Amino acid sequence: MNYPVWEAPMLGGGLIIGIIAILHVFVSHFAVGGGLFLPVTERKAYRENNPMLLEYVRSHSKFFVLVVLVFGAVSGVGIWWSIGLVNPEATATLIHVFVWGWAIEWVFFFVEIAAAFIYYYGWDRLDAKTHLLVGWIYFGAAWASLFVINGILTFMLTPGRWLETQSFAAAFFNPGMLPSCLVRTAVSVALAGVYALVTAAAVRDVGLRTEVIQYAAKWLLVGTVVIPLGGLWYISTLPAMAREISMGAAPAVTIFAGLSIFFSALVVLFTYFGPYRNPRYFNLTFAFVIAVMALSTTGVTEWVREAVRKPYIIYDYMYANTLRTDDLNRVRQQGILKSALWVRVHEVDPKAPEKAGEEVFRVQCASCHTLNGYNSIRFAVKGWSRAMIDYQLLHLNELKGFMPPFVGTEEERRALGAWLASLSPLPSNLEIAPSEKAETRPVTSEGAPKP
Amino acid sequence: MTPVIPAPVPVPLPAPAWLLEFLLVFTFILHLLPMNFLLGGVVMVSVSSFLGRNDAKHREFARRAGGALPPVVAFAITLGVAPLLFLQLVYGQFFYTSSVLMAWFWLAVVLLVMLGYYGVYWYNMQQEELGRRAAWVMLTTAVIFLLVAFIFSRNMTAMLRPQDFYNEFLRGGVGVILGPLTSSGLARLLHFVVASLAMAGLGVALLSRLWRRDAPGFAAWAHRYGLRWFQAGTGVEFLVGIWFLLSLPAEVRGQFLGASTLGTLLLVAAVLLAIVALVAARLSLAVSTIAIVGTISLMAVIRHLVRVAYLQRYFDPRSLPVHGQWVVFALFAILLVAGIATVAWMLYVFFRPASAQAG
Repeated sequence: MNYPVWEAPMLGGGLIIGIIAILHVFVSHFAVGGGLFLPVTERKAYRENNPMLLEYVRSHSKFFVLVVLVFGAVSGVGIWWSIGLVNPEATATLIHVFVWGWAIEWVFFFVEIAAAFIYYYGWDRLDAKTHLLVGWIYFGAAWASLFVINGILTFMLTPGRWLETQSFAAAFFNPGMLPSCLVRTAVSVALAGVYALVTAAAVRDVGLRTEVIQYAAKWLLVGTVVIPLGGLWYISTLPAMAREISMGAAPAVTIFAGLSIFFSALVVLFTYFGPYRNPRYFNLTFAFVIAVMALSTTGVTEWVREAVRKPYIIYDYMYANTLRTDDLNRVRQQGILKSALWVRVHEVDPKAPEKAGEEVFRVQCASCHTLNGYNSIRFAVKGWSRAMIDYQLLHLNELKGFMPPFVGTEEERRALGAWLASLSPLPSNLEIAPSEKAETRPVTSEGAPKP
Repeated sequence: MTPVIPAPVPVPLPAPAWLLEFLLVFTFILHLLPMNFLLGGVVMVSVSSFLGRNDAKHREFARRAGGALPPVVAFAITLGVAPLLFLQLVYGQFFYTSSVLMAWFWLAVVLLVMLGYYGVYWYNMQQEELGRRAAWVMLTTAVIFLLVAFIFSRNMTAMLRPQDFYNEFLRGGVGVILGPLTSSGLARLLHFVVASLAMAGLGVALLSRLWRRDAPGFAAWAHRYGLRWFQAGTGVEFLVGIWFLLSLPAEVRGQFLGASTLGTLLLVAAVLLAIVALVAARLSLAVSTIAIVGTISLMAVIRHLVRVAYLQRYFDPRSLPVHGQWVVFALFAILLVAGIATVAWMLYVFFRPASAQAG
């Protein structure tokens, strides 16, 4: 309402955030888990006096730097960039609540990056003990940065007591924070294994390759065992509606939730019977298959986590279209076209309501729906009569739990209905159905509803 | 027509505006140093990559200076996060609006930075394989980072013109509206780019001290070469700075030409320090460095005052409600000190001469 709406054709802003975020999650959790993998494995090499294993850790650290420091760091900034463009109001709110949290995370990020460079460039310059210590500093900073960001992220779905107290502590230590942190830590360990399998498969020496492949598979398996335990705990903290959405109420979300379990199971099975039991037959292609399955798991899981937050962007506080729950009554009275700042049409023209209707769509629906692409609105209302559309708009939040209520005047709702109906013209849409007239109050030519 | 400006969010600021503005300017100064080294550095390394085809010194310089670039990129990005965070907190309603209007360009920054970053690594890790093409890789990287500078400069200028937002919005095309390139906007961009070339030159002079150990002859040449860039860049910067000052709207410009004592004193001090830096360059690199860091810091404050002067008609951050989160702020301050100490220790063990033998 407060900001101009950027409509990204076909994709929609939500999907742009999603694409960046999923790739980032897949790399940033490796940044944490891989940060543990490096010093642990380096120490193992020293203890076993195994120079070949040490050489492997060293080459893995080069791969690590190229993936984590560049893609991981920049894509993380990219999420921030994209949420600011797609949902400035929510981003601004999060920054107001959490700026010191972010500032703390920034300190850890700074230490993390510095430590990664010194670890990577320090193989020949630092003695073993110091080098290992720098590795531990890297891991500590990386995990701490996960810890902070995780608190901000879970706040959006489970803001808990912040809604009453508005305090930082209530916001950060929200109900979902600890279980989600456990899940993400476990995911990090598992992903350390996934990436290590890729570099392990490229090791030339057969003996070392077998050893490292099995070792990496163990990381993956250990991480994956903890994920469902943390996951169940996490699910127990979710709002009731979020659980319902993922367990049947919204088929697409339920299917994705199922896929998340399915892909995880595939990863475990492939890893157990592949690299863990039969490391000799493991190769780079196999490693990429596991990586792709792990990326798929990440993708669908993060998608579900985002989807169950609907209809909110900050639960019980701000809807996905940036309307605050507190503002509903005011906007209902004023009308959406008078409340939104960035509209080109301020009033409904009774002769051609579609124009205003499209504007209402833009400010109230376009944060989730595109016209023809992702979550297409044309497809959603295909074949619906005007009466059906109006009935849906009247009861949007009751009929579809994952959608916010329509907010605006009756005139605006009808204008939106007229525009939606114009998207897929049906013979029955050419005139307003009688049942619809009977159901709603008449409107005067000035646009104000008659008492 | 009354400008359309989004309302600030109804959540109170977590600290008084003056503290947030201080952190905004302070962390921006921290970002400016590696950012300047990066932007000027990629240009200098590009030039030397081409000259190095027939000149051993330039070849050596491109190799060594190019090798220093990856951490510089990392710190330019990392240290850039904080000022942008505080900018969004205090001036979000202007920044988000201008960003949304140019959304595709603004989002492209992420992709460009990633490409530029990989370009720097590619240049370093595969210099031999790339052969003569290495120069083109670095040139492309330089162009990419200059594009990032261009987009940043446009957005930071656009957010100061809220009176134009709504008209631009009405013309349509939300997401691709860059706004007109004014002479002030162009001067601002040039001011930053030329400063980067000068600062990178100084950075090379400083870096050359590390090269004294293994290549004293080359280090002496690199020292002189870096200073030439520094002196030429700083000289040009005086001209560009005058152009930038004159291109500002009268009421903003006036703040630095007498109307405001503080603004005028800051500008005079910044210019004097730049002159000191320029004169001292060949005599004492330490004095020159301290003086130019002083200039940059004062210029960052002046830049903030320019922003305040542009926006004061519409918004005063001090009018916003405040509910201080002092405990978390204290935690941040403690962690910041601990973080800086940790990084300083790591740099110390990395650069201390003894460690070279110990490894």
